[in-house]
Amino acid sequence: MACTSANVVKCHCQKKWSSVTMPAMAKIQFCFTFILFIAINCASVNVDNISSDVKFKNVDRTIDLSSQLVKISQKITLENSGKSPVKSFLVAVEASSKNNLAYIGAKDSSGKDLRVSETTVKGHDSAKFWRVDLKDALNAGSTVVVTSETVFTKALQPYPTAITQQEDQLVKYTGNLYVYSPYQVTSQKTNVVVVTKGIESFSKVKPFSQQDGAIQYGPYPNVAPFTEKELSVHYKNNSPFLTVTRIERLIEVSHWGNIAIEELIEVEHTGAKLKGPFSRYDYQQDLHSGPASVRSYKTLLPASASDVYYRDTNGNISTSNMKVKKDSVELDLRPRYPLFGGWKTHYTLGYNVPSYEYLYHSGNEYLLKMRVIDHIFDDMQVDELTTKIILPEGSVGIKLNVPYPVTRLADSLHYTYLDTKGRPVITFKKSNVVENHIQDFQLRYTFPRLLMFQEPLLVVGFLYALFLLVIIYVRLDFSIHKAEHQHKD
Amino acid sequence: MTVEVQTKAKLPQLSSDKQLTFIKLAVLSMAAILSFATRLFSVLRFESVIHEFDPYFNYRTTRYLTEEGFYNFHNWFDDRAWYPLGRIIGGTIYPGLMVTSATLYNIMQFLNITIDIRNVCVFLAPFFSSLTTIVTYLLTKELKDEGSGLVAAAMIAIVPGYISRSVAGSYDNEGIAIFCMLLTYYFWIKAVNTGTILWATMTALAYFYMVSSWGGYVFLINLIPLHVLALMALGRFSSRVYVAYSTLYCVGTILSMQISFVGFQPVQSSEHMLALGTFGLCQLYAFAQYLRAHLSPANFELLFKALCTTLLATLGTAAAVLTITGKISPWTGRFYSLLDPSYAKNHIPIIASVSEHQPTSWSSFYFDLQVLVFLFPAGLYFCFSKLTDANIFIILYGVLSIYFAGVMVRLMLVLAPVMCIVSGLAASSLLSLHVKDIEPKVEKHEKKKKHENNLVFRSEVGAVFVCVLGCLLISYVFHCTWVTSEAYSSPSIVLSARAHDGSRIIFDDFREAYTWLKMNTKEDAKVMSWWDYGYQITAMANRTVIVDNNTWNNTHISRVGQAMASTEEKAYEIMQELDVDYVLVIFGGLVGYSSDDINKFLWMVRIGGSTERGAHIKEADYYTGAGEFRVDSDGSSTLLNCLMYKMSYYKFGLVYTEGGRPPGFDRVRGAEIGNKDFNLDVLEEAYTTEHWLVRIYKVKPLPNRGV
Repeated sequence: MACTSANVVKCHCQKKWSSVTMPAMAKIQFCFTFILFIAINCASVNVDNISSDVKFKNVDRTIDLSSQLVKISQKITLENSGKSPVKSFLVAVEASSKNNLAYIGAKDSSGKDLRVSETTVKGHDSAKFWRVDLKDALNAGSTVVVTSETVFTKALQPYPTAITQQEDQLVKYTGNLYVYSPYQVTSQKTNVVVVTKGIESFSKVKPFSQQDGAIQYGPYPNVAPFTEKELSVHYKNNSPFLTVTRIERLIEVSHWGNIAIEELIEVEHTGAKLKGPFSRYDYQQDLHSGPASVRSYKTLLPASASDVYYRDTNGNISTSNMKVKKDSVELDLRPRYPLFGGWKTHYTLGYNVPSYEYLYHSGNEYLLKMRVIDHIFDDMQVDELTTKIILPEGSVGIKLNVPYPVTRLADSLHYTYLDTKGRPVITFKKSNVVENHIQDFQLRYTFPRLLMFQEPLLVVGFLYALFLLVIIYVRLDFSIHKAEHQHKD
Repeated sequence: MTVEVQTKAKLPQLSSDKQLTFIKLAVLSMAAILSFATRLFSVLRFESVIHEFDPYFNYRTTRYLTEEGFYNFHNWFDDRAWYPLGRIIGGTIYPGLMVTSATLYNIMQFLNITIDIRNVCVFLAPFFSSLTTIVTYLLTKELKDEGSGLVAAAMIAIVPGYISRSVAGSYDNEGIAIFCMLLTYYFWIKAVNTGTILWATMTALAYFYMVSSWGGYVFLINLIPLHVLALMALGRFSSRVYVAYSTLYCVGTILSMQISFVGFQPVQSSEHMLALGTFGLCQLYAFAQYLRAHLSPANFELLFKALCTTLLATLGTAAAVLTITGKISPWTGRFYSLLDPSYAKNHIPIIASVSEHQPTSWSSFYFDLQVLVFLFPAGLYFCFSKLTDANIFIILYGVLSIYFAGVMVRLMLVLAPVMCIVSGLAASSLLSLHVKDIEPKVEKHEKKKKHENNLVFRSEVGAVFVCVLGCLLISYVFHCTWVTSEAYSSPSIVLSARAHDGSRIIFDDFREAYTWLKMNTKEDAKVMSWWDYGYQITAMANRTVIVDNNTWNNTHISRVGQAMASTEEKAYEIMQELDVDYVLVIFGGLVGYSSDDINKFLWMVRIGGSTERGAHIKEADYYTGAGEFRVDSDGSSTLLNCLMYKMSYYKFGLVYTEGGRPPGFDRVRGAEIGNKDFNLDVLEEAYTTEHWLVRIYKVKPLPNRGV
């Protein structure tokens, strides 16, 4: 993110709004959202040029098609053939698949993350570009190895689109045979991993070789920049095609030592649709029946998770198992019914974690460090993520720091037990999320610690008032006329 | 019991008056808490979930009320039920229950107590049972004394007859209606005892709450006039009763007519005529007494006779005319079946098919009331021995409700409170009689010493008696807890069974199927099932049903029965006529769940055949030559080829259910099915749950021409 520009904007903001009377907190919040908004926009406004000095000497590309995601990793040997040192280079994604891109990242040869920021190049409007900043400038004539990783969702099309219960699911991948690059690629190899023997058909451009569960293409020498040629693979893929169409993650922070997490999840099987009847008899007789269906999946929770519940609007879902492992709690979630293509389900998963693992403080300053999204199932793809963080009542000066750009929604208030003015709720959204997005956000806020006593005092005060009223009622006589006491006894 | 309590060692600081208050409060609040706690078995064993069938409808309407507000709720036309007719919900329900829980919910939301509406519904009945306990105490206290009140409160807290309808999750009208009923009685007794308009108006308000919550208010509005009549007959009619009843009738009737489901019934239907007649009679009686005070006896007699004849004649003709013109609603079937237990069975199959409308067996009296059955006559004796206006009321209530409970199982609910009250009277009287004897003698008794000496071992006999009664009461506690835990605490939506190794297996098939319907069918899909499951489907699956548990349209239900009882081709016509997309059947043959659709099938046949269009469906066709209902190869071919049979047993012929049995062995009927190898032409299996409890079929569209 463009940090430097954010500072400038901040000054501008305060100047602009100082004349308007706004509550201090709202002002800060507004500014913050504004900054975030600007920051995201700034990033996309970046303009870069394609340097003619840079060349890709060698690219080893692996296209992993074994799950529902398409994971492409490229090992790029970068060469500076010019005279001056190069600080950064560009990676590009072709127009046809740029909308499916969920994640992009780059690492240097020692495995350290490099900064990647979105950018544009004049004259190439349809494609998408990212600028990768190198750790150290690359001197003229030398080379460096960089690994880039991209993850695409919904890039595999079920073909045929509907199958019967007993049939295997076939999917089709359409991509680029060559590395899509703004630079000349001297030599490249591509390895397509499908893990299955059941390959129906694939593009045959020599040289290529086919082994068990993998196809190798190349090496192809001297490919010009922006070359596209169709690569298609039609193969059997019975791995779970589950899409989380919506997830709402609620994090409720309590200063009494607990953080409650609740996730409302909607899941759909987005593979080939089920055609014809569902036969329970066949499904029970033969464990291999319904190969494309999903019977259960595993969700990993933090190791300290406790009081886990798994339910939907009709009540508890009694088909789940929990295993406590060393570094995580493994939940084997079985939906109420097996999921076939086109079938949907929804559920609520909730648990508690102790706050000392995620909440740090010095004096009245607090820092919450938690995951934006947690693991739902392996190779998950999430269409829409909403994360809500509920802070204790009375928290002010909230500053959110996210690892990647998100859309922050307006803050709101949440009322629950013993609240008087409501708890601040921070909400943000992100679409197209994959496992690589399981990263921590940071939330700083100020909470006067004396406010901890507000709620117990409220209860004490209420009971005190109640007893006082009873005492007054019992001790004093409110009747208009004297009651006759003769009847007694 | 209380006498024991009263004589306990004195607490040092407090005066005896305060001690007594403290002990009373402690006993009463413990009874109230106990009555809440004992109803939580199912929540602890399973989860906080709504039970059975009707509660699901109530839950759905309550949710609607909280989401849409009262005005929309009142005007609600539900197109999810009785397709294609629909149902006017606002005008055909007693809204008291929903309004109560919505109000509680809103109050709690206002106080930022964020409790889910479902939990409010689940815990409403136990909460109202606690209130009932308190009202019982007040009512019994009004009848006799505080001691009996406490005993009665303790008894009603755990009486199984009441628990059966008020466990957590059993979110039904009865859950709050018993509270309303006892509250009305309490205010009524108060009104009769004091003769003030205040208490009579309170009675009317309580009565209004009762009317808004349960159709059983008819019992109440007949019992109170009967009490007034009895008082008249016994010469106990006084201005107190006059004020109480006249106020109650006027205010109560006008209030009750505000409930749109009741409407003009209080002045039209025969069930309310006793109240109206008694009201008239009260006026006449009072007027006559007024005249008697002012006229000479001879003149009075003449006037009285003349007035009587004219009045009777006019009333008689008016009633006859109104009945003929249909202004007075005819005697309804449910009412007849109250008076004549065999009426429904012979005439209306749909009423007879409901298990809770069956006559009560003797064993279930003991099962539901245990020691109360024996204490009740003793309590009646004590009531008679010291007859008061209030005692007459409780005697009437007791005797009448015993009769009605004998007619219909579900009316055990009305009997249980009076059993507790009267038994409370009995137990308390007996105890206070004998505890006195075991007490160490106080100086006060010296005067009577002569008489006391006539009986030998007086204190020993007293002690033995107290012990015996104590044992009985303890056995009552154990019995009640056992019954509650074993019989009345299964939610029926989740079933559980014991595996061979003793672990618990849960059959969650119903929710599995309903969730499947909700998530994987079109929003406007119509689901046909037997009416039992209608409410659950609309509430949990949110899909349109053809018939549901509100059995208001017999022909519609009959049409569904005909579809189930016909062959596939005939059924297809009916299903096309009703726009059915999915058919849902309950099948217990795999796991041995006995209340499935095959066991209910004869009712479908009977109800299907009870209308004109289903005249071709004859019950006899579904029996074997020997008159048996069998699903094996000896069964009648009509049965073996009807839609219900095919849907239940589709592909079941291949399944091995029990070791040493052939495939297709039905574990409920204990027989190998007769028709194993068949295909479905007009339906296809859409979903079957894990234990085959629910099977859903999709109705195939009409085939293309020329294919």
